[in-house]
Amino acid sequence: MPQVKAIYMKRIYCCLFLTILLFTQCSKDASSLNNMSAVTTGAGGSLARFAIAGNYLYTVDDQNLTTYDITNPENPVLKSTRNVGFEIETISPFKDKLFIGSTSVVYIFSLADPASPQQLGVAVSPQVLRRCDPVVAKDTVAFATLRTNGPCGGFQSILAIYDIKDIQNPIQKGMVGVGEPYGLGYSGDALYVCDKQRGLMVFDINNAYTPQVVRTLRDGTYIDVIPYQDMLICWVSTGIIVYDISNNKNPIRIATIN
Amino acid sequence: MKSILLIAFTFFIITGCTPENEPQQGNVMGYVPVYAQTTSVLNHRILPQRATSKAGKIYAFGNFLFQNDIGTGIHIINNTNRTSPQKVGFIELPLSTELAVKGNFLYCNNYRDIVVFNITNPATPQMVKRMSNVFPALNQQYPPYNNCSFECVDPNKGVVIYWEEKQITNPKCRR
Repeated sequence: MPQVKAIYMKRIYCCLFLTILLFTQCSKDASSLNNMSAVTTGAGGSLARFAIAGNYLYTVDDQNLTTYDITNPENPVLKSTRNVGFEIETISPFKDKLFIGSTSVVYIFSLADPASPQQLGVAVSPQVLRRCDPVVAKDTVAFATLRTNGPCGGFQSILAIYDIKDIQNPIQKGMVGVGEPYGLGYSGDALYVCDKQRGLMVFDINNAYTPQVVRTLRDGTYIDVIPYQDMLICWVSTGIIVYDISNNKNPIRIATIN
Repeated sequence: MKSILLIAFTFFIITGCTPENEPQQGNVMGYVPVYAQTTSVLNHRILPQRATSKAGKIYAFGNFLFQNDIGTGIHIINNTNRTSPQKVGFIELPLSTELAVKGNFLYCNNYRDIVVFNITNPATPQMVKRMSNVFPALNQQYPPYNNCSFECVDPNKGVVIYWEEKQITNPKCRR
């Protein structure tokens, strides 16, 4: 039984690192395309394989992290390529670090030298064959969707809530059954979870360990969300749906792009 | 009792219930590779806006949104008027899946190449750089999911650009 627990904890670590990953996706600032300052970057989804941090473009394929200097933006210069591991799927910069997610492991790289990221640590969970699904962190709490069903079979999928005050010792403090969850993100005290079966679930997370569904939107099949300024930009199976989230628990559909 | 159940539940979540690598019989949900031919994949065209076909990854930058159309290109969307975003153009870019934007530049893949577009004028992007063979084709042998059945890949049919979720009969491949 302790072994099972250990495996489970590793899985939590794995997801927690992805947490920070998605967290960063939601907090980038923006300006007009024609009025860019040097620090402006955009925001991508949780499945990104390309990421930009400072003057560098980072890409991940199945196994490698590649760094390009884009100080001259129209002429990327290859700076380094590094073998990271297997089944790499996502990359995200957060402050001076890169978080690289694979199906079972998360790698953390330092960007102290942004041209040549150095591996700081790795959350290994060789026993865990299931993928870690997206997670978002908010202050001392992390929210994760763990999708274990769909065509690949499995058990109940959940929205799990972790206490991450001690990042080395995250503790699951809450759990909500969901349908078939994909991406998620938050704005203030509202959490948005893409659920292929149920829709876009909006949770009140004022009491973080017991999120309450306040509404479920069913305007499409939701895959991922980017909270951006006061908009919720949703990747849906038919294109994009944009909601105004000035009132964050009551998204108002303002646009559909097909 | 409660904790035993919880541990059992945890164990199920971690390991799943289906044995790995055993082909399933009958009609099951799984993944089917969608192929594209690699002839003339390195061509790109700047086209007028068009309807979204296979919605892919998204990116937000300032007043613009970008969405990959899986395997075919990138929609460029002016979102200045938030209640009425306007597609302003489409970069036809075969086998593209990834994208990122910084300033007036869009970085994306085109099969195994990474290409850079100057999007200062978003309706008429200019390709300013192509880096050849720097980004390998992904998910060519199996779908990016564990513990599932899929139709085996036939490399003679081309490059796999997408794994479609659908019902398949007596699939021979599983991971």
